[in-house]
Amino acid sequence: MTSTLRSSLVLRWMLAALGVILALAVVQELARPETTDLVSSGTAESTLRRAVPILLAGLGGIWAERAGVVNIGLEGMMVLGTWFGAWGALEFGPWWGLVIGIAGGAAGGLLHAVATVTFGVDHIISGVAVNIIAPALTRFLSREFFVDRPGGGLTQSPRVESVGSLDVPFLAGGDLFGWTTPDIFHWIEDRSWFLASDVAAVLGGVTRSVSWATLLALALVPASVFILWRTAFGLRVRSSGEHPVAANSLGVSVVRMKFTAVVVSGGLAGFGGAFIAIEQTGIYRENQVQGRGFIGLATVIFGNWQPVGAFLGSLLFGFADALQLRDRTAVHALLLLVGVALAAQAVRAVLQKRNRPAFLLAAASVAVLWWYAVTEEVVSELPPVTPHVATLLVLVFAAGRLRPPAAIGLPYRRGQE
Amino acid sequence: MTTSTVHAPTPAVELAGITKRFPGVVANDAVDLRVAEGEIHAVVGENGAGKSTLMKILYGMQAADEGTMTVGGSEVRFSSPSEAIDAGIGMVHQHFMLADQLTVLENVVLGAEPTRRGTIDRAAARRDLEDLGRSYGLDLDPDDHVETLEVGERQRVEIIKVLYRGARVLILDEPTAVLVPQEVEELFRNLRELKARGHTIIFIDHKLEEVLAIADTITVLRQGRTVATVDPSEVTAHQLAELMVGSDLPTPSTEPRADDDHVTLAIRGLSIPAAEGRPALDGIDLEVRRGEIVGVAGVEGNGQGVLVEAILGLREATGGDIALDGESISGWPVRRRREAGLGYVPEDRHRRGLLLDAPLWENAMLGHQTTAPYARGPWIDRRGARDATTDIVADFDVRTPGIDTTARALSGGNQQKLVIGREMAAGPRMLIAAHPTRGIDVGAQAAVWADLRTARADGLAVLLVSADLEELIGLADRLLVMLRGRIVAELDPATTTPMQLGGHMTGASGDGDPS
Repeated sequence: MTSTLRSSLVLRWMLAALGVILALAVVQELARPETTDLVSSGTAESTLRRAVPILLAGLGGIWAERAGVVNIGLEGMMVLGTWFGAWGALEFGPWWGLVIGIAGGAAGGLLHAVATVTFGVDHIISGVAVNIIAPALTRFLSREFFVDRPGGGLTQSPRVESVGSLDVPFLAGGDLFGWTTPDIFHWIEDRSWFLASDVAAVLGGVTRSVSWATLLALALVPASVFILWRTAFGLRVRSSGEHPVAANSLGVSVVRMKFTAVVVSGGLAGFGGAFIAIEQTGIYRENQVQGRGFIGLATVIFGNWQPVGAFLGSLLFGFADALQLRDRTAVHALLLLVGVALAAQAVRAVLQKRNRPAFLLAAASVAVLWWYAVTEEVVSELPPVTPHVATLLVLVFAAGRLRPPAAIGLPYRRGQE
Repeated sequence: MTTSTVHAPTPAVELAGITKRFPGVVANDAVDLRVAEGEIHAVVGENGAGKSTLMKILYGMQAADEGTMTVGGSEVRFSSPSEAIDAGIGMVHQHFMLADQLTVLENVVLGAEPTRRGTIDRAAARRDLEDLGRSYGLDLDPDDHVETLEVGERQRVEIIKVLYRGARVLILDEPTAVLVPQEVEELFRNLRELKARGHTIIFIDHKLEEVLAIADTITVLRQGRTVATVDPSEVTAHQLAELMVGSDLPTPSTEPRADDDHVTLAIRGLSIPAAEGRPALDGIDLEVRRGEIVGVAGVEGNGQGVLVEAILGLREATGGDIALDGESISGWPVRRRREAGLGYVPEDRHRRGLLLDAPLWENAMLGHQTTAPYARGPWIDRRGARDATTDIVADFDVRTPGIDTTARALSGGNQQKLVIGREMAAGPRMLIAAHPTRGIDVGAQAAVWADLRTARADGLAVLLVSADLEELIGLADRLLVMLRGRIVAELDPATTTPMQLGGHMTGASGDGDPS
């Protein structure tokens, strides 16, 4: 019974993904020749790559918050990840770079755990402290370790190597025992069949030259679900974030659970930072995290404290990020999609007899469509904030359905009531 | 039938000379407790007598300063609840220890999870849960989220949680405080079932009729000391009360009311739509006259809290009207309503009534910070506020070292006297009192009742929301029962028993009920 339930869930997800691609493809057709980059293998590849650090920060946020600790220090932990990742990659190679980057982030997590769990410091204050300490520390470390190296300096490291990537055999033309397999997705993409080629382009983008580190990060989504929802350890972590006193009264070591979860959280953020340095840019540079830790926190809320939800949120941010870098006209075409989506929501609200939301949605829809019709290109400030606007919209319309852990952000002392 | 239990050969639990000191108080002073195997042993005493502290020591949540504990014949010393659980002791807490967003099953297995290949073995857990439920008559669906359960069901989850860990000795801390009479009967059935299967039960309570109905042995605590251990067949409620407080127990009662038709508070068709499926308010009509106490009864979460918040202006109503002395206050903000003479004793004095870490004189200003004697123009009048606070402390018998003491340092009863004094001192026309005697000792309870009676005699209109049915019946001139956001019954307290009231509260009582 559960296996059919699960397969129907997988089917539903696949249908939803297909629906998104279809919508984008339709918009792309309508907006021709303005843009061809809304659905392309390049956009898909870029979306995934840009989503990974945000996803890792989001997973980090989920781990900490499920245990009841607000981790606004994710940003700083990612900064530690970038520096330690680059340093490790320089000294011992890219794989060790990832490991050391994770350790660097975890150290930041440990600091946050000691402050919030052991000493009961306000979670926000401790998180902000981590965010202030991390860049200062990395600047200091750069002076000690990078300045004397060729290509290194106070604000950057020498270039580092990445961990390498994979072309999936048969699907994306990867090698198998020295034999280059056919590239099926590319073949279908070249046929220019509506929808089928679009799907193949997207799938090709995410299966061709995909970094091993990306695969590892993606695997952490089901791994987090499994650990937090299927194991006894996970139940204890979650109970520490829901009702720590009850958990303690049943012999659960709440302090240990919180420590573990916050250190894991820091490790995930560190992984995200190391990914930026080693995989995305191939160099440590100051300020290269650029608020992704905070965006990761936004995906936690967007995803209702569920790993899969945070993953979807990170894809949304990754997509918007990829589009604005690759093709600004595509963002303009996207207005059409947003306008239509708002109109659909408005109709739904009318059917549910929720008058005020219906009116607001309809008004927004008209405004966006009008904007699309009278402009050729959106102002250059808009594309970078698209993901933030999307998150705000989600928060406005889904706030009633969001379920944060009950004891989130509250100090806990052993033996309290 | 209880002759052999008092001095059984090997007691299930024996506490000897337990002493526990907190800064400034001795909570337990050489307490002795001897509980025989397989009996229901009641521990009674008024609030603050040290019952809960004693049980927390037995359950390993707090360590005793002195004394010895023996469980099943061997001496023990617990430093955490898990050690007590290992020794076969389980506790059902007064405030449920349940995570609302987790399922019944998750709450039950937490900390003692059956695992298979690294994951929680939900199938095995479900089997065990259903077995337990069947054999003790504790009906529950393991997959329900706790937040959807009613109070009685939550208590069953707590009991199953304890049994699941193999407890032989169950401690129940004031289990009936949150239940209506019908649920109490069901609980007692469950307890007798547990006893029949050889479990030992320690039952904490201060409601004497209940204790006499269920207990095999009763130990009375007073001011941290063991006063007596008695056989319920040999004492009356009156004698027990005297043992508990050293004098007679106060009971709520009022004089008949003088005729006065002036309507102070009038509510017409007040509605608030449901959010998240919770009952809100649905067409409430209600009047409170001058010098009248109107009692509102209901199982917690049936809209009483929302009603109070709506009258006060904390929550916006979507339909209907609220009028104070004939003037509509519906659109008014909270402060204007307060200034117009609306007094408020909140349900949770720690969260809504007081700033725990602020001195008493600042607390006395809360809600009246814009009016004399607390303010002069835009400024706080420190001297006026301090003088007024001194008066409140004297008039309402708030026992405190001074008005610069923080509210946290006071006992619950004295905190409540301060809150009531603060509201009364402002000379309100209408008082909303939500659970005014919850969790306070008998002396303070009597004082609060006296204050309400005096206010009523002086012509104050009072809306009294309470879960204490005796209090409602004793004090109110009229009783309203709320169920799922509606007023479902209006009763005359003079002819209503707690049992009948409970029937209306749960919706079990139909039209044919002889009330």
